[in-house]
Amino acid sequence: MTSLFIDTSTKFITLSIIKDNKQCYFFHEKVFEELSVKILPLISDALKQCNLKAHDINKIYIVTGPGSFTGIRIGLTIFKVIAWTLKIDIVPISSLELIASTKTDTDYIVPCIDARRGNCYIAIYNENLDMIVSDRFTSFQSFIDDILLDKTFQIVTYDDIDNGNKIVPQIDIIKVINKHKNDLPINPHMINPNYLKKTEAEENFERKNN
Amino acid sequence: MIVMNDKYILAIESSCDETSASIIKNGHEEIATVVLSQMDTHANYGGVVPEIASRMHIENITMVLEETLMKSNMTMDNMDAIAVTYGPGLIGSLLIGVEAAKTLAYIYNKPLVPIHHIAGHIYANNLEKEMEFPLIALVISGGHTELIYMKENYNFKRIGGTLDDAVGEAYDKVARVLNLPYPGGPLVDKLAFEGEDTYDLPIPLDDNSYNFSFSGIKSAVINLRHNEEQRGNEINLENLACSFQNRVIKILTKKTMRALKEYNVKNLIIAGGVAANKGIRNEFVKLCEENTINLTIPPINRCTDNAAMIGAAGYYAYKLNHFGDLNLNAKATDELH
Repeated sequence: MTSLFIDTSTKFITLSIIKDNKQCYFFHEKVFEELSVKILPLISDALKQCNLKAHDINKIYIVTGPGSFTGIRIGLTIFKVIAWTLKIDIVPISSLELIASTKTDTDYIVPCIDARRGNCYIAIYNENLDMIVSDRFTSFQSFIDDILLDKTFQIVTYDDIDNGNKIVPQIDIIKVINKHKNDLPINPHMINPNYLKKTEAEENFERKNN
Repeated sequence: MIVMNDKYILAIESSCDETSASIIKNGHEEIATVVLSQMDTHANYGGVVPEIASRMHIENITMVLEETLMKSNMTMDNMDAIAVTYGPGLIGSLLIGVEAAKTLAYIYNKPLVPIHHIAGHIYANNLEKEMEFPLIALVISGGHTELIYMKENYNFKRIGGTLDDAVGEAYDKVARVLNLPYPGGPLVDKLAFEGEDTYDLPIPLDDNSYNFSFSGIKSAVINLRHNEEQRGNEINLENLACSFQNRVIKILTKKTMRALKEYNVKNLIIAGGVAANKGIRNEFVKLCEENTINLTIPPINRCTDNAAMIGAAGYYAYKLNHFGDLNLNAKATDELH
């Protein structure tokens, strides 16, 4: 059983190839070059290093968001095409759940991705990666005030979020894959980004027409 | 029947609001094409919304590819190369086609052929009849207004282009001033035939260069409407459309005919979405007859964006080994060369 895990939704690119529950390739770095230039050569090198061809992959786990719209689309276009043309099972993963795979000392793990202007993508997971409060796009401060209240929690984020109680993610891909290994794969035509946010044009249009 | 010497190009185009794939044989024979237009969605917003366009491209890209292969009764293994529009266009939209093309080239170990969108528009004509050289191509669309000289196949020299708005963009903006629904360009063309040239509008950039400028005449239309409203006068839409269209036709034909003369060229190609404009078409047909110029204009469905034209251009780029790598990037702007 060979699985490939990919995340292009944040500024850290994650690419891993897992053979029989062991990682034979792992890349997790902040990418400064343009993602569209870097990503396919990276995938090609990764497969080469593991002596694999794309059609040897049995299952693709792909982060479909939330996060950078363009980043998500670049990674997902590549693997949507691969899953479709080579008939490989593809399973969507949440970027927030991946961040929540970080080990913490608290019951509530709060993964967070900055979405500018005081907004963020945020959720609450527990250490078994069960979703306690679902992934959402909201104001960071209102989430802290209204949802987290007096819970003991740990914010996990790559970003400069103004809160003392935060740590940098130490993602655990095997943990995430094990959580989703029995998920039903999605028809590759139907796997799409999970933006969690409509476009501004759509929001304005709805406001005007309601 | 698949013959050894025949070359099949799978082409992808996603530079604006059409997701399209096509298989073209030997640069001139269309085997199968699928075009999925997002126009109805963008009509809600009065123009193309780039983020919505990108979202729709990724939703549809694999379905468009699958349908194209099914229509052709061919497989990826039968293809000789993958051609793709790398630019210019909307960056988020271009990226979907570019990533999909690179992925297929990588998986099936085929050459990747990056194509400039304008080269595609020109080569739409090769699907009608084989292009004769040297030629002048006038590419007019919602995003482009370019005069190109071609000495031979896949040899482009840009001799002029718009300095601001593309001609189609000016049409759509004027249509908005006249309260016509998006995309209003074709409606302006229709109204122009019902009106007379009564409004005093400037001729856009009437100089010795081969460049164009349409923002001035667009502003003149906006001001004229505003001033007439202030005076309580009603605007005659047909006459304003006619006056605007006549000025546009005048400058497009003037500079194009001069280019033909100066470069001593007898072949003219008109391409791009605005080539569907009847007023512009009619005038060029008339002038080319008078001057014994061999004029080619593609049929309307090949004027708008489609992957068939990318496959036609792709064949000639492929023969010249114009290949791209897996690090090919999309480019929002890039000169044709």
